[in-house]
Amino acid sequence: MSKNLSKDTEWFLSIYSILLLVYPREFRREYGSQMVLLLLDCQRDARTAPARTRIWFRTLVDLVRTAPREHLEKIRKDNNLMRNLRTDLFAIGGCILIILAALLLLNYGRSHQVSSILVFGFALDAIAFTGVVGNLIVFLLIKLTRFRPLRVAFFTFLIVSLAPAIALTVIALAVDPKFNAPNVLIGYVVSFFFWYGLHWLWSNKLRPSETA
Amino acid sequence: MKVPTRRPEEFLPLTPAMFHILLALADKERHGYHIMREVDERTEGNVKLGPGTLYGSIKRMMGDGLIEELEERPDPELDDERRRYYRLTDFGFRVATAEAQRLERMVRSARAKKLLPRTKSG
Repeated sequence: MSKNLSKDTEWFLSIYSILLLVYPREFRREYGSQMVLLLLDCQRDARTAPARTRIWFRTLVDLVRTAPREHLEKIRKDNNLMRNLRTDLFAIGGCILIILAALLLLNYGRSHQVSSILVFGFALDAIAFTGVVGNLIVFLLIKLTRFRPLRVAFFTFLIVSLAPAIALTVIALAVDPKFNAPNVLIGYVVSFFFWYGLHWLWSNKLRPSETA
Repeated sequence: MKVPTRRPEEFLPLTPAMFHILLALADKERHGYHIMREVDERTEGNVKLGPGTLYGSIKRMMGDGLIEELEERPDPELDDERRRYYRLTDFGFRVATAEAQRLERMVRSARAKKLLPRTKSG
């Protein structure tokens, strides 16, 4: 760094390297050396002492202006991460509760032969199944890809609801002609609208704004 | 590389520093000091990007997928190998175009209000 540099330039670059401590650590690590290199280039090109002084002054003003901005951005990013984590946990907890409630209700209805619950038995079955499989796929796809969450939910629940409904109907009708295919199909249709509706509500009405 | 899911218009208006950096990278890839010099020369010394402004903007633009860092380093015999080179992404080009069109519309409005002299063609 110190090849062909005047003493005052070397001194200023050393001071600037220390002053970079005012930036957030990640920013410093990523761009600190590039910023010193940039300043070194500027100093090399400045031929006169007044030109070098102007560069020093401008650089210090720039540092005072931009360091707070980088800190604010880091704070905002950290807050967003925490908020996203809380929101994710809340959404996962909600899904687990709904699935557990459906299973418990179904179990209670079957063991006590409660007809009003058993009427919805097919739908509850489908809600529990597509809830576990569909939400797991949706969660993974949203976290691992950059597809739009609502679109992911739509296609996932469409596939997760249609596939077992058609497979069950085809296989069960071949084995048992008395199999109640229309109710199974209705159950999966209800399940699709139930889960996709919840995701739509979550995206449009319930989820706290990420840009806030 | 980050794949942008937003539309170019959602990034507008760009900050002056961001637009100048996009303009500097529109014709070829450059390193930080090269960008700074290009902006300085193009604006006849009216815009001088400091190191914090330049690299703060570069960080945000890389995060948004407007520019990307070149993986290959310069030949040590020709250039300082510590230098990092940046180039515009396709998405960055679309954002820069959208911003240029926005500014063009504003200049047209200013002409219509007689804040600027009319061009021969207009």
